[in-house]
Amino acid sequence: MSVRKEVESTGVDEEQSSSMETFHDKSHFWGRLTLWMVVVASLLPPLYFSFILDAHPGWGAIIGGLIGYASFIGIMWFLEPITFYPTLGRSGTYLAFLTGNIANMCLPCSASAQESVGAEPGSRKAEIAGTLGITAASLVNILVIIAVVFSGSYIIMILPEPVEQALNLILPAIYGGVLGQFALKKPLYGLIAITLGMAILFAPIYSLIKIVLCVVSTVAVCLYLEKLKESKARHE
Amino acid sequence: MDEVLQAAQSLPVWIFAAIVVAIVIFQAIIFLIVSVKTAPEIGMSSEETKRAFRTGVISSLGPSFGIAIVIISLITILGAPFTLMRIGIIGSAPTELTAAGVGANAFGTELGADGFNLQAFTTVVWTMCLGGTGWLIFAALFTKSLGNTQTKVVKKNPKIMVIISTAAMLGAFAYLASQQMVQGYSHAIAAIVSGLSMMALLTFANKKGIKWLSEWALGIALIIGMTIGHFTTLF
Repeated sequence: MSVRKEVESTGVDEEQSSSMETFHDKSHFWGRLTLWMVVVASLLPPLYFSFILDAHPGWGAIIGGLIGYASFIGIMWFLEPITFYPTLGRSGTYLAFLTGNIANMCLPCSASAQESVGAEPGSRKAEIAGTLGITAASLVNILVIIAVVFSGSYIIMILPEPVEQALNLILPAIYGGVLGQFALKKPLYGLIAITLGMAILFAPIYSLIKIVLCVVSTVAVCLYLEKLKESKARHE
Repeated sequence: MDEVLQAAQSLPVWIFAAIVVAIVIFQAIIFLIVSVKTAPEIGMSSEETKRAFRTGVISSLGPSFGIAIVIISLITILGAPFTLMRIGIIGSAPTELTAAGVGANAFGTELGADGFNLQAFTTVVWTMCLGGTGWLIFAALFTKSLGNTQTKVVKKNPKIMVIISTAAMLGAFAYLASQQMVQGYSHAIAAIVSGLSMMALLTFANKKGIKWLSEWALGIALIIGMTIGHFTTLF
């Protein structure tokens, strides 16, 4: 009986694995396609201004601008996708890096969606629920932006003054809220993370890599603790 | 400056913006369809699928309005269609503002200065558009390898991804929250109150089995955090 049950459960697991494989393949295909489409579309405005409106500033200025850009934030081209990958997963990475606003919108929405269906982070269910959360966020965000741009900021102007001022506090509220959600599950990890976060914040380190450093060190410390726990359990 | 804004708000630029916006919407819909199709195959009920999507909608309202507020400052510099295009895809308002400044400097002028002519604006456009593709290109090229690495790691130790995911999330948000909290008293209060509200709401929702409450938890926590944080600025 127990043997049969085990066989059955691995059968289900295999079925689910192949479903997830199909999901990943589709994510890669559509994700890459849409990302490359936007890369190409990004070339249109500069080419239009330079060669159709005849306002070409010269390649020297353009290269100078790009070098300036790369030196102020270019390192994030590589570090951000790697830092956020473990929480976004494959599909989430394609979605979040196209729509932007990763930390202040995509990740919180992915995490709430996972929480609402009781999915454990890193599981298959979490991956699908998180993807659903981010697609919802991406659609809502683009609709709000369109509405604001077309109403000529009218929507923002009709907001009462206190609401507008309170919205200045949206970032600390979002970050604190998500931190609370995860710290509830793993209070010890949360304590480690906030200690490391504060220490790294005040450390004299190149500021752009601080968040990466905080993610990597939190993961390393938590993995080490789990290992200790495991070996302790084995000894007992 | 008039010449610049006129060109920046011309029809072709609106069309470029529309193309980018269309791709973003298209991508979200494709992923929505694929996820909805996969959900029942991995044991998610259709009720859960709907709930996950609905939670995403509710949770994104606050952040979206937060983003909308910073858009206003960009519109005056870049014009409406260009702002739509830049904020619709990767790139946050502060990054784009700095990028615009860097581009103007490369042409030897400053944003809004007398010498900020159409050529200076074109330099800004090149800098922002090409600079922003860095993330897209990296994500397009390397997400698959990251995924393959993940598969290998999980094969060795199936439980490890749970620890890595949770710890990575906590690491990122602990840093981001710390960075905000040191900005001032009301920022710190907003973060702490929102965090505690989230814990209380989720504990209550899970204990009593109130499912709609976990959908609204982040939205409610944001409002409580912002309101109490704002009150502290009044005294």
